[in-house]
Amino acid sequence: MMKRSTLLRIGLPAALAFLLLIAPLWIGGSPYIMHLAITAFYYAILAASWSLLAGYAGQFSFAHMSFMAIGAYAAALYGTYIRITTVATETCREIPFFGRWLVILDPIGISQSSQTNCLDLARQTMPAGSMIIQPSIWWGLLFGVVAGGLFGLLIGALVLRLRSTYLALFTIGFSEILRAVISAEIDITQGQSGLEMAPLFPNGITLFGHSYSASDKIPPYYVMLALFLVIMLILSWVVSSRIGLFIRAIREDQEASAALGVHVVRYKVLVFTITAMMAAAAGVIQGHYIGIITPNILIILQMSLVIAMAVIGGLENIYAAAIGAVILLFGLELLRNSFTIGPVTIDMTTWRLVAFGLVLMITLRFFRNGLISPLIDRVMRRNVARETVALRNAATAAATPTATTAGEGGSDE
Amino acid sequence: MSSSKSMRWLITVLVLMLALVISACGAPAAQETVGDAPAAEEAPADAAASSDAAAEEAPAEATEAPAEEASGDAAAAEGDVIKIGALAPLSAPGTVVGGEAMVDAMRIAADEINANGGLLGRPVELVIEDSEGLPERGTAAMEKLINQDQVVAVGGGYHSSVGVAAKEVAHDNGIPVVFAETWNDTITSAMYPEIFRIAPLNSEVTAVDLNWLTSLPYEIGNVVILTENTDYGIPAAQETAAGLEAAGIASETFQTDIGTQDFSAIIDRIRAQNPDFILVLNTGEAGFNFQQQAAEQGIGPQDVPMLCNQDGLESNAYWTNVPDGNLCFLRRVGLPVELYNDVAKSFVERYVELTGKTTAESYALEAYDSIMIIAQAIEEAGSTDPAAIIDALENISYEGALGTITFPVNSKNTPEQAGMDPKWWHQFPDPAITIVQYQEEGQDSLDAPVVFPEIYQTGDLVWVTAE
Amino acid sequence: MANQQIFLLALLWVVFWGAIGSLFTPRIYSRKDLDISRATLGGALVGAALGPIGLIPLWIYTPRFTNRIYAAASIIVLGILILAFARAYPDNLCVSDGGFVASQVTNGIVIGLIYSLMALGLTLIYSILGIVSFAHGEFYMVGGMVVYFMSASTLFGRAGAWVWLLGAAVVTFVIGAIFEILFLRPMGEGKIERPKEYAILVTFGLSFFLQYLVQGLAGANPVKAPRFFDFPVIELPNAEDPYLIKTTAGNLRLFDAVSIPNTRFVSAMISVLLLFALLFFLYRTWTGRGLRAVSEDRQAASVAGINPYRMNTLAFALGGMLAGLSGATLVQVFTWLPQVGIPAAARSFVIIVLGGMGSLPGAFVGGIIVGLVEALGAGCVPDPARAAAYIPAYGMIILTLTLLLKPTGLFGREL
Repeated sequence: MMKRSTLLRIGLPAALAFLLLIAPLWIGGSPYIMHLAITAFYYAILAASWSLLAGYAGQFSFAHMSFMAIGAYAAALYGTYIRITTVATETCREIPFFGRWLVILDPIGISQSSQTNCLDLARQTMPAGSMIIQPSIWWGLLFGVVAGGLFGLLIGALVLRLRSTYLALFTIGFSEILRAVISAEIDITQGQSGLEMAPLFPNGITLFGHSYSASDKIPPYYVMLALFLVIMLILSWVVSSRIGLFIRAIREDQEASAALGVHVVRYKVLVFTITAMMAAAAGVIQGHYIGIITPNILIILQMSLVIAMAVIGGLENIYAAAIGAVILLFGLELLRNSFTIGPVTIDMTTWRLVAFGLVLMITLRFFRNGLISPLIDRVMRRNVARETVALRNAATAAATPTATTAGEGGSDE
Repeated sequence: MSSSKSMRWLITVLVLMLALVISACGAPAAQETVGDAPAAEEAPADAAASSDAAAEEAPAEATEAPAEEASGDAAAAEGDVIKIGALAPLSAPGTVVGGEAMVDAMRIAADEINANGGLLGRPVELVIEDSEGLPERGTAAMEKLINQDQVVAVGGGYHSSVGVAAKEVAHDNGIPVVFAETWNDTITSAMYPEIFRIAPLNSEVTAVDLNWLTSLPYEIGNVVILTENTDYGIPAAQETAAGLEAAGIASETFQTDIGTQDFSAIIDRIRAQNPDFILVLNTGEAGFNFQQQAAEQGIGPQDVPMLCNQDGLESNAYWTNVPDGNLCFLRRVGLPVELYNDVAKSFVERYVELTGKTTAESYALEAYDSIMIIAQAIEEAGSTDPAAIIDALENISYEGALGTITFPVNSKNTPEQAGMDPKWWHQFPDPAITIVQYQEEGQDSLDAPVVFPEIYQTGDLVWVTAE
Repeated sequence: MANQQIFLLALLWVVFWGAIGSLFTPRIYSRKDLDISRATLGGALVGAALGPIGLIPLWIYTPRFTNRIYAAASIIVLGILILAFARAYPDNLCVSDGGFVASQVTNGIVIGLIYSLMALGLTLIYSILGIVSFAHGEFYMVGGMVVYFMSASTLFGRAGAWVWLLGAAVVTFVIGAIFEILFLRPMGEGKIERPKEYAILVTFGLSFFLQYLVQGLAGANPVKAPRFFDFPVIELPNAEDPYLIKTTAGNLRLFDAVSIPNTRFVSAMISVLLLFALLFFLYRTWTGRGLRAVSEDRQAASVAGINPYRMNTLAFALGGMLAGLSGATLVQVFTWLPQVGIPAAARSFVIIVLGGMGSLPGAFVGGIIVGLVEALGAGCVPDPARAAAYIPAYGMIILTLTLLLKPTGLFGREL
């Protein structure tokens, strides 16, 4: 017999996912709302994966946006500098590649005078009919995720000894160095002008008989949603598996869990790596969707936004963090409109952030588990309570007193 | 132990999933056949992408334009109000000073339109959107303006990188944009039918600097260029350096991060170069910081001739932040004060009254004109249909604060036909650029004499020579 | 051109053997059941200094790492790098021009003194409350803003710099005290789980709040306070040949090579005064001794009749005030915006980590080192396109290296 709480645990998320899947039926007509929704999923991925890292594993990393940026930049660099040609260019750095040529373009930085790169030179000498192909962006996604994962592994291994404040400072340092490098190495990264990224479906896509252009919002919506759902699935599997148990044990008492045989190093690094890969994946998709990536995504404000989303949602609950991200994103966006009370015009672009800081502080002080997480618990627990009562009644009827605690196992942490 | 088993599982699942994604979507992002290139260039739409790199990445143009019609209809259906979008940086990391000035100017424009009975008998509403100086935020802002607020046209725009990104959204939706203060050449050289610009071209500004420097009767052998590492600063610095080299003048470029505060070490290095001239391409507070710190360390505008950043035209801010900055040269876009037409005079009057500043900065003038020119185009088009507005803009002759604005290189006179570089597409060809010099401490930039070019000259320059 | 690779090779060599040393030395020491707390840094330094020639005997004999080994190895590493740099870039100003180096060093120390004052506030907070305030930069920003608005107002405009400084001190002290009572006190009362993380986040919230509050109230126009004091004009030994000292109202020039702007000099001097005032307070007054007692041993202090909660409030407010005063003196040097606190806070983090969290002398020495590194980094890095663009990174490199090699910093208590 399936317990009602189990039904709720699976049914509720499934229903939500289904709602999101069919949501474009209502909001598809408004590209602006669709844009917000896509961005909301992007932040939800970041907030949820950060909540696994910070809330469950207790690793207060400020480098989460850096992993996102590493992913996005890896994909952008790949998209900007890698081409495949059918004929050797003779002017570029190139390697034979399954009968074709893998060409690495030379970085020319940003300039207005139409500087030519090696491919432009080659184009004049290439025989007619030869092809220059920009390889699929999905390989770029793979490249970005792997790069993000590698850096996650590296940072995770470096910070093993550092706790709480030290870890936070180290990751801030890493993030700042990365930002400085990206802004300064203009020849390769084009600095503040950013790297342009191709749309997700450059030639449009046909879905269910309807063709969408490259700038349509429906395809990126589903791509981002799919990524979001997949990541939520992985995250919920991780937290309910032994890994989740172990990382929480490590968070509570590292020495004790090590003594009990938990491989502390392995799990800490593992969590860093997976969450970094998730952030990187989100970064790649968002980068392709927006079409440009600049080092300004690394400013501390962006990271603090993700942190605030997770905290206001509920730090120790990945679902709450994700929902918090969605609500906060829409909230901050809708609060942008200035309004006038009598003679005073309140410029909301600034004041909404004042309110945001205040909400963050108050949430931390008085709602330790965030604002969303207790609501989720409540929904789940009410049924648990009912079930427990039912079980108890059944137990009394059957005169087997041991069953009373059975329902408690289903309660959320 | 089962824990490591579950870990192995997790990794396997991840790898499998990635493999699935990859194999499912292996199609190339873009493909180009070399032989076809000349044929493609015949078509006007493709000629836009003169740089081949852009052509490669450019998505296939959407042939149907349902979005265009939809938004046009919707705007008409909105009824009374005509909405015009205003894009400006209003929070960090954008240049908030510039953004706020532009918003004030655009508000004045909207109020003026409404005071004169609105457009086509309907009132105008200005919808202001914050770009934060971030390209990604800029596209979102443009998206909101067009699709949520359903504006019929957009004015403003400050940061070049935002303009570069936001123009794509406008292009996708077919909504006209008149950029006010985005200098990067590529914004117009993409030749999108929707994109107009009344700000000067970065390369033209550089040309003015070069003309001025090379025309001076003083011996200039060694120039130091200080630039911010943005797509405004870097190309300008590169082109200036190249131009100077062609004129036989040596130069060294120092790049700084945008938010740089402490320039003392850089200033020492610059001093060691013994420059005859310093060119500052840092905008906002970084420029102020450099100029004042250089003055304190003995290579300020009173020791070495220095072309300061144009934010200094707002005299209050300049003298607060650079009290020792007398004798700085400043580049000003727009006609010199003596030649201000009535539009400019009345605008500056209202602007000064509203903001309490001493005068209107060039970006305020441009922002004002960007809204007013859209208004005139709507009047002339007689409708709020974006295509009609674009058509009206192409034929417009608008008397504004910057002078008479026209867009002579347009779809009827393409750059190819005119034999001009694509950067002139939908570009106001002659925003007057002058060089003025503060010659008294606390001077109002309006009173500062114009020292270049000769036709506008109102005073002699003071040239300090290094010790 | 080929010369330039010498430096690159030297750097690679040092980094490579340093990494090897830092990775394997702790393992070897722990296998021999020796103290490993100093092995990471020691291994890294010995490796970087001597390469395999140093590491192999080190691994065989596994000596105890004394400060003397640290010092000797550090000097060798610095020596190798400086020599290689001088060989690679003989024309670099830092190699060819002694006056330039002297000027950089002086300016580095001057600005470092001001940085230390701010970092002292942060380290004071850490030593009493055991937390790092992420809102420290905003106290700095508020301090500067208060001075600017007082100097621009008709009421206080003529009152003079000391009154402005007092105003900044009062405002930042009050903000710090109120915040501590409302948001940090429950932490001390044990009502909060995982207090360190809570503190990071809640001070983060404060920083957000203050930054945008100031922007909302004061706008985002860049502002700057006037010079506090002018220098008297001196030319020594005489006006024809002022090679010893030459001052104008805004600048001080020593030996014709070192130039110190007035505003920086004045800020540094005020910082030194405040530093002494702080030391006097901590070591000569009852309340100050109470603070130190709490930082040494909370339990014992409360037994001795010191109210630890009041000391927490005092420490946080005092720490914020020091940041505020630091900003108040710097608003005459730099152009001020609501965002200026962010890089300043980051720099304070670097300083206290380098000096050792909670260590007052550490903050002082760390401040000067960071000031020097930033000045020399921007002054000496050969490529002018990169030297200044990397300014924000120089400090962060120190931070990450310190955390990796010796998380307790220069003067920190051993973990």
